[in-house]
Amino acid sequence: MNQETDDCWVEQSDRSMDRREFVRAAALVGAGITAAAAGVVMHRRRPPPADPTGPATRRAVQALPAPPTGTAEDPLLRMQRDLAHALAKPVEQRHWIMIIDHRKCVGCHACTIGCVAENKLPPGVVYRPVVTEEAGEYPRVRMKFTPRPCMQCDKPPCVPVCPVRATWKRPDGVVTIDYDRCIGCRYCLTACPYGARTSDFGEHYMAGAAEGAPRGTDRPVEGSETPAYAERPAPEYGKGWVRKGHASPIGNARKCHFCLHRLNEGLLPMCVTTCIGRATYFGDANNPDSLVSELKATHDTHTLLPHKGTEPQVFYIG
Amino acid sequence: MHMFTSPPLRIPDAGRRWVHMALVIVFGASAVIGVWGVYERVAHGHLPAGYGSYVPWGLWIALYFHGVGIAGGAFLLGGLGYVLRWPGFRRRAALRTVIVLSVAAFAASFLGIWFDLGHMDRASFIFTRPAFTSMMSFNAWIYGAFMACAGIAYALSWIDDRGWLKPFLCVAALFSVMFPSQSGAFFGVVDAKSYWHSPLLPVLFLTSAVVAGSATLLLVKWLFPDGEIEMDGALRRLRSILLGSLIVYFGLELAEFSLGLWNPYTHAPALELILWGPYWWVFWIVHLVVGGGIPFALLLTRRVPAWLTAAGLIVVAFVSGRLNVLIPGQAVGEISGLQDAFHHDRLKYIYHATPAEYAVGFFMLAAGMAVFFVGREVTRLIARRLSASTPVLQSSPRAATPAMK
Repeated sequence: MNQETDDCWVEQSDRSMDRREFVRAAALVGAGITAAAAGVVMHRRRPPPADPTGPATRRAVQALPAPPTGTAEDPLLRMQRDLAHALAKPVEQRHWIMIIDHRKCVGCHACTIGCVAENKLPPGVVYRPVVTEEAGEYPRVRMKFTPRPCMQCDKPPCVPVCPVRATWKRPDGVVTIDYDRCIGCRYCLTACPYGARTSDFGEHYMAGAAEGAPRGTDRPVEGSETPAYAERPAPEYGKGWVRKGHASPIGNARKCHFCLHRLNEGLLPMCVTTCIGRATYFGDANNPDSLVSELKATHDTHTLLPHKGTEPQVFYIG
Repeated sequence: MHMFTSPPLRIPDAGRRWVHMALVIVFGASAVIGVWGVYERVAHGHLPAGYGSYVPWGLWIALYFHGVGIAGGAFLLGGLGYVLRWPGFRRRAALRTVIVLSVAAFAASFLGIWFDLGHMDRASFIFTRPAFTSMMSFNAWIYGAFMACAGIAYALSWIDDRGWLKPFLCVAALFSVMFPSQSGAFFGVVDAKSYWHSPLLPVLFLTSAVVAGSATLLLVKWLFPDGEIEMDGALRRLRSILLGSLIVYFGLELAEFSLGLWNPYTHAPALELILWGPYWWVFWIVHLVVGGGIPFALLLTRRVPAWLTAAGLIVVAFVSGRLNVLIPGQAVGEISGLQDAFHHDRLKYIYHATPAEYAVGFFMLAAGMAVFFVGREVTRLIARRLSASTPVLQSSPRAATPAMK
C-alpha cells in the first residue's frame, strides 16, 4: 500500500468499492434523484401565487350612460363603459385582452410616450415600443406600424423560468411581477420571444447632465435644476416606487401590465387613451357584448409569433 | 503482458517554481484590477456594464458557466478516480486537492453570477423561495447538494469513514455530471432563442466540463505534487481523457453547427454571427486554433511540458466556447426591427464587454486562486497536525484496527 507524507488515512483494499459501499451509493443516488424529481413535480403542479379573488375584488365604478340608439360613439367611451361593467365582476371573471388595428395605427408613438410618462419609465426601459416596417419601393411604399406591448400570454414562457416565483399570471390574465421579490437574474428577459421585458439598470434621465456644469445649487441633479418628473414615484401595481439608490424597481425586470393601477381606478390603460388613431382597443373578453369581443368576432385577428405556442392575448387586425 | 509498457515520463520539476511565481503575479494583478471592477459594480450598480435588455447576460455569466464546468469536470474525474482507484487519484490527499479545486472554481463562478444579479441582497431567495419549474432554481439546489456532499466527503476523508466516503463521492460525482449538463439545459429550455433551443446543448456543456476540468486537473497535478508518487500515471490518464473529450467536444460542436449550416432557417443568424460577425476571431482563432488545434497537436506529443501548455491554453481559451453560446444566442431577436423601435444603448442586439466587466472577471479569477490556495494550505495544515498527533490508519472498509505509521 502506498504511503504518503501528509495523509493519515490510506486505503487498504485494492477493490474500488465493496458491496456495502455500492448499496449505500445506490441508496444515496436513488434518494437524491427521487428528491429532485419530487421537487420538480410538486412545483409543476403547484398553482401560481394566490391573488385575491371573489366578491371582494369587485369595484364599483360609475359607468357612462349609453348613447342614444343610432348615434356614433367614440370607442374610448364604449371601452370606458365596458371597463366599468368588467370591474363590477370578481377579478377571476374578467379576462383582459387588447386588440390593435394595424390599419389605423399611424406610427405616432403617442402610446409609447404615454406609457413612459404614466409608469415613470427610466431610460432604457420601454413597455410599448412601436416597430416600423417598410415595404415596397418608392413611389409605392407602405409603412406598417406594430405596437408591441406585453402579450399577456396565456402560456407565458417568462413565468416558469423565474427561479423565485416573482412573476405569475393573475386571474384576470395579466402577467405581473412582484418587484420586492424579483432578484434581477434576467432569465425572464431571455425567455420572452417578444422582447417584452426590459431590465431597469438604474439609468437616470439626468445622468451626464452635470458634466461641465458649475458646482453649487444650480448644478443639475444636485441642485434646483433637477426636474420634478425625474423624482416622481412610479405608480405601478398600486404602490409608489421611488427611484433611490439600488432599491426596486432598479435592478428588476419590468414589463407592461395593462396599467393595472389605472384599471383598479376605472381608467383605461394609458396607451389606449393616448392613441390618436383609436387603433388600440382594450376590454374584457369574457363579456360577449364588449367592444373587444365584438371586434374579435367580426375581424380576422392574428397574434405575433403564433408558432411559439404562447397564446398571446394581444391581437392584431390587418 | 507488459511488452508495450511506456517508458517513464520526464516530468519537468525545474519549471514549477517559475510557474508558481508567474501565478503569484497573475493573482496580484488580477486582484488589483478586480478590486477596481468590484468597486465600480458596487458603487454604480449595473451602469458600468455593457449588457442590456435584449442581450441581458454577458461576460460574467460566460465565466460563471466556464468555472462551473471546471468544478464539475475536475470533481467528476477526481472523485471517480478515487473510487475506481486510478493511479495518481487513489490517495486521499489527491482527493482533497480535487475537492478544494472544485470548491475554488465554484466560489469564483458564484461571484460572477452574484455580481450579475440586479438585487444581490436577494440571492438567498433562490434557496428560501425556490421554483423548481425554473432550471436556474433547480441548478442552484443541485449546486447546494453537491457542495454538501463534497463537504461531507472532505470531512470523511480525514477519519475512518466506515464505508461512507465512496458512497458520498458517488452522489457528488452524479451531481457533478448533473450541473454542467444543466448548464446546457439552462439555455436549452429557452424556446425563445432558436440557437439555444437544442437538445445537444446539455451534452455539449458536459463534454466541455470534462475538457476544462481534466485540463485544470492536469495543471494542478503538476503544479502541486504534494509528494505525489504516481504523477506519471495521473498525467498520462488525464492527457488521454483530455484528448478524447476534446475530440468528442469538437465533434458535437460540428454536429450542432451542421443543423444551422444545412437548415439555414433555424440557427443560421446566430451561427453567422459566430462565424462571420464582429467577433469572428473568437471562434476561429481563440476557440478553434488556441483552444482546439494547438492543444490537440501538443497533446499528441510525448512531452509533458507540451501537455501542460495544452492544458493551460484550454483552460483559458475554452471561455470562448461559453461566450459563443451565450452572446450570439441572445443577439438575434425574434421580432425584426425591435431594436430600432425605441433607441437606447441597452435596447440593442449588440454586446461589448466593458472594462469594468473584464475587471470583475479578473476579480473572479483572483478569488478562485485565493480560495484554492487557502483551502490547500488549510488541508496541509490539518494533515500535518493529524500526522503529528495520530498514527496513519488503515481504512479498509471494515477495518477498525488503527495501525501505527
